[in-house]
Amino acid sequence: MGYGAYTFVVVMAVAVMASAVYALYWAVKTGQFRQFEKGATEIFTAEEPEGQPTDFFPQKRKKPTA
Amino acid sequence: MNKGPLLFLGIFLTLAFSWTGIVLTNHLTVGQIGTYIDAETGTAFPQAVPGLAQQGKRVYQELGCLYCHTQQVRRPGFGADDLRGWGERQSVPRDYVQQERLLLGTMRTGPDLMNVGARPLNAEWHYKHLLDPQITSPGSNMAPFPFLFEMRKIVGQPSPKALQGLPPQYAPPAGFELVPTHRAEALVAYLLSLKHEFDYPESIPVNTSGGKK
Amino acid sequence: MSSADPSFVASLKPGTPEATAERALLSEIDVSTRRPVFFFLCAALVWLLVGTGFALIASIKLHNPAFLGQAEWLTFGNVRTAHLNSVVYGWATNAAFAVALWIMARLSRTQVRHLGILDVAGFFWNLGVAIGIVGILRGDSTSIEWLEFPAYATPLLFVAYALIGIWAIIAFRFRQPGHVYVSQWYLLAALFWFPWLYSIAQLMLVFAPVRGAVQPLVNWWFAHNVLGLWFTPIGLAAIYYFLPKVLGKPIHSYYLSALGFWSLALFYNWAGVHHLIGGPIPAWVLSAGIVASLLMIIPVVTTGINHHLTMFGSFGRLKDSPTLRFMVFGGMSYTLVSLIGSAMAVRSFNEIAHFTHFTVAHAHHGLYAFFTMVMFGSIYYMMPRLTGREWPSAPLISAHFWFCAVGITIYVVGLKIGGLIQGWEMVATTTSEAGEVALRVPLFLDIVKHTLPYLVSRSLAGMMITIGHLAFAVHFVWMLLQPRAVAGAQPVRLSPDAALPASRA
Repeated sequence: MGYGAYTFVVVMAVAVMASAVYALYWAVKTGQFRQFEKGATEIFTAEEPEGQPTDFFPQKRKKPTA
Repeated sequence: MNKGPLLFLGIFLTLAFSWTGIVLTNHLTVGQIGTYIDAETGTAFPQAVPGLAQQGKRVYQELGCLYCHTQQVRRPGFGADDLRGWGERQSVPRDYVQQERLLLGTMRTGPDLMNVGARPLNAEWHYKHLLDPQITSPGSNMAPFPFLFEMRKIVGQPSPKALQGLPPQYAPPAGFELVPTHRAEALVAYLLSLKHEFDYPESIPVNTSGGKK
Repeated sequence: MSSADPSFVASLKPGTPEATAERALLSEIDVSTRRPVFFFLCAALVWLLVGTGFALIASIKLHNPAFLGQAEWLTFGNVRTAHLNSVVYGWATNAAFAVALWIMARLSRTQVRHLGILDVAGFFWNLGVAIGIVGILRGDSTSIEWLEFPAYATPLLFVAYALIGIWAIIAFRFRQPGHVYVSQWYLLAALFWFPWLYSIAQLMLVFAPVRGAVQPLVNWWFAHNVLGLWFTPIGLAAIYYFLPKVLGKPIHSYYLSALGFWSLALFYNWAGVHHLIGGPIPAWVLSAGIVASLLMIIPVVTTGINHHLTMFGSFGRLKDSPTLRFMVFGGMSYTLVSLIGSAMAVRSFNEIAHFTHFTVAHAHHGLYAFFTMVMFGSIYYMMPRLTGREWPSAPLISAHFWFCAVGITIYVVGLKIGGLIQGWEMVATTTSEAGEVALRVPLFLDIVKHTLPYLVSRSLAGMMITIGHLAFAVHFVWMLLQPRAVAGAQPVRLSPDAALPASRA
């Protein structure tokens, strides 16, 4: 059983780790993380705005006044 | 994280990495292991499973035996497989090279079967056990397999294969005999063929408590 | 699905680029996805009931082996396998498709197209699953765990999945520009990973089987990754979407979600071989799997912290929101089951717990207490918006929640205790003064006897869960029989301005 296969996976592990580190560096450099926190508000729209809960048990909500 | 292609690259690489490490490297190494020729006898081990037993393996699969029985012995000192009589050494990859479908299993609702053919259980015991495990093993939660047996009228001489010595509630009425079907015979042949006792160079038992076993 | 509606709002929110292209209303998107998503939900519900039926039969057989013992097609090996495949590929995957498609459509923030692809996909997927289940009961199982569908059923699954993947890519491509929300990372990753896992496993195990001990490596790389790279991401995507949506406040620490996502992607991939500890596998692979399983603590704790901090101060809302109850139960279960899972990979614990009912309990802890409960919560949120009707009965929702939550708790706790007893008795030894080692419980049948009470508690838990599922099914059908809340095409929005509960600050 040659060790070629194992050498390959170790090399690949190093390469993957290195590219992960580089990707993180690149992301910070190109401003991927600038204003990142604002992404958390993506799910809110005018229809379902932030600050308004959107799920209730049936019959627990007041009927909208006509 | 807004770039679709980069997201995909990361997602792809993580999967490729694990596949390469876990599957590919072992396919190139462990997957190339072949049989071992015993210098004294010239026999190749592990031995190929004979025809009827091969059919029996198919029955084993159809009935889903692997969901309660494993076929992998752990090394002495890790678990107590050796003390239970399930095998004197751990199972090694070479034990499985003749199997086109491995049935390692992951549950031991019942005992490990890797070497069940080496245990003092004969065909008669297996037939009774399969007919209803309560006959040989009261309190067992193994399923009964009555459909592996055929109740038929005795014509002429009773069949030599008819089950003998059954407890009263299982014994056939007078003039009838209970005979294993072909599937039962094949399954029992398979079970009796399960033994892996040959010591390969790489399978010398490993023991964490140090010293000889 | 009018896009020229003058009441249309193209909102400018801080942080997003000026949206010059059309942005669709959420309600319009919900309505547009109705047909395929509703189909997947109905299919999921049918398979849930089928799978629950198989589960009960299998569970009873383990303490009453003579139960239905005459019929070959119902033998334990078949029923257990039919249960696993119908809940995994029938219930859980159909639910996953429905939730993934619905969330992806909403997060694309534009009209979705080509929904016909999904209709065809849904049909082929469920046809494949049905043929596969029948095949298993006939005895044609492949005997490969989690891949038991016979080879004549699986091509249908491929076709179906390919169509879904194509739709997802198109939907993502035509999304509104802007930030890609965390749920979408998880959904895209899951939608990409699953077909690769499935194809490679089918190729290397069924169509051109690899040799010897490589088979279990492929098998458990696949099967564990179905949990870690398909169901877990979809479950997490759902929690990341619905939790803040229900509360009306964003995820607390969004940076943590990025950390959680990438560490999950990196580590979960390698953890699968922990199913083979002690087996005929090179030790380095097993050790790598154990290390990865322990490193999983990072994404799990990260996600747990994120969810908890988001919920902090809002636990009172559990009284008001069905979806929230299921999400919180599911999210807490995720943290717990994953930490226990990391512990199970440690060799000394594995020596005891491997091959026992503990593993079965763990599987249900993850797939039911986490994934299924999260799916239930998602369905309670989605259905009113898809159908324009309200759930008719609050008591039925509570019944569903409590029977299932208590049921699965009894299941997991009871069976884990039983599994530990089983495992400990299987390996426990005594050493005499002369150095002779002997088994503490030499008779295997004694071990069986000692686990029986916990197998019975599992069946009782299963009956509670079944009642919960029946309540859900009845409620689902009842809802569809209601008249539409509002006549005409306008869908109902369920957060009308007048409805803020009094307790809300």
